[in-house]
Amino acid sequence: MAIIKGYDMPDGLYYHEEHSWARVEDNRVTVGMDDIFQKEAGDIVFVDLPDEEDEVEQGEVCGKIQSRKWIGKLCAPVSGEIVEINEDLEDDTGLINQDPYGKGWILVIEPSDLENELDNLIHGDTVVDFIEREIKRTEEERAKA
Amino acid sequence: MHSWRLFKDTVDHVSTASGLSIDDTLPLSLSRHGSPPILHLYIFRPSAIVGKYQDIEAALRLDRCRDRGTEYNRRSTGGGTVIMGPKVVALGLGINIDHPGLGKGIGGIFESLSAVLIRALRDLGIKAGFRLKNDLEVDGKKIAGLSATLETEKAILFHASLLVDFDIPLMLDIMNQPPAKLHDRGYSCFSQRITTIQEQLGHDIDMGPVMEVIEKAFSQQFGVSFEKDEPDRWEKESIKSLANTRYTNPDWIFSHKHPRSSMGMGELKTPGGLLEIYLSLAGSTIEHIVITGDFFSTTKDINLLESALKWTSAKREKIAEHLSEVWREDMIHGVDVPTLTEAIVKAKENLVRA
Repeated sequence: MAIIKGYDMPDGLYYHEEHSWARVEDNRVTVGMDDIFQKEAGDIVFVDLPDEEDEVEQGEVCGKIQSRKWIGKLCAPVSGEIVEINEDLEDDTGLINQDPYGKGWILVIEPSDLENELDNLIHGDTVVDFIEREIKRTEEERAKA
Repeated sequence: MHSWRLFKDTVDHVSTASGLSIDDTLPLSLSRHGSPPILHLYIFRPSAIVGKYQDIEAALRLDRCRDRGTEYNRRSTGGGTVIMGPKVVALGLGINIDHPGLGKGIGGIFESLSAVLIRALRDLGIKAGFRLKNDLEVDGKKIAGLSATLETEKAILFHASLLVDFDIPLMLDIMNQPPAKLHDRGYSCFSQRITTIQEQLGHDIDMGPVMEVIEKAFSQQFGVSFEKDEPDRWEKESIKSLANTRYTNPDWIFSHKHPRSSMGMGELKTPGGLLEIYLSLAGSTIEHIVITGDFFSTTKDINLLESALKWTSAKREKIAEHLSEVWREDMIHGVDVPTLTEAIVKAKENLVRA
């Protein structure tokens, strides 16, 4: 568990710059949205997900997430086949807010090129840089505005 | 000075298929066709447009829409139903999320673009402010609604509807939400929650001058000039394709990708008077809430409380949390947050499928 600048970014996960996370276990990759996203988005209202057996490419938009009046995107952190969808989200999308790395997981991918693609994701020591970059960009934009 | 493109039509009243197809093309044109930001200002025919993930059959009385010749459709941005017509400015904007001057993140983007419309209204002599859940208000009454979607890697489509005048009887006739029983209270209930530019000014105003102040406000806010333009050949192809695949296609309009809708009403006698709550849920989210009864409060405070709850979770603890965020002593005389929460939970217990 790592709290970085007020954001919960668990060790061991891989993060996509569009704020999806990936947890690698055996040959399955569980995917969700990170704490930065859920804090910024506020209450998640609806999740529009792909179907099981759909193929996705790394970085491809594979779902849409609505919070308030904003519709954002879920980017696949790795390529592969979607083998499971979190059906509990159908009844309670708030799970993404309450427990983004636990009950709020979104889908599971059976990866097709995991070894190469993990190098493209943010992991380990680089997570701190990623968060600092995001915060700095926010502050700069606010100052400009 | 950088130049943005402006698609503007102050005269024609366009179909929902035409207006929404053009809007959806705006972010695509930025990301795939190299266009600078595009502002689209226009007027719809009388129409009701639901948010992307709304249940259109629960939100609207489609038979009444058909009888009245009021178009209905589904837009690609989030939020609830909007009623458009000859005195409502429709605004579509395609812009990259990293555009200089645009705030960062979802909140920052909405704040920046709201600031433009607040500036435009100020130019007309109206003091508006940003309110929770992305509406603009004047003295606690809604005057504009905003929504957005991230359509491509970087380009967003931002939508706004700005009320120059508004047909409340039409809204009451064609909308299912809030629940039908509230229709008995009709006009006065909604006139306390909605205001218009004409009401604020105390006189009529044409659509042209309103669009001009919006254009000017964008120029000032972003330090850009506008080049009056129209869709080019690539964009016309995109518009045609989107009109076919989405806005004239029943599979899009009646899409079933939406949370289940339900509505309910709850009453609670309190030391401060009777609280009546009308609630519409989309799945487990509050889509619409009206707090009424015979208690003492102000329109502004009630609208603030309703706004704090819209598009948030309907769980008891979340309701209490969101009310507490905006609550001030004596907001509703003789009522506190736990009591108001209880009244809302009662409405939730009476929910029926819409």
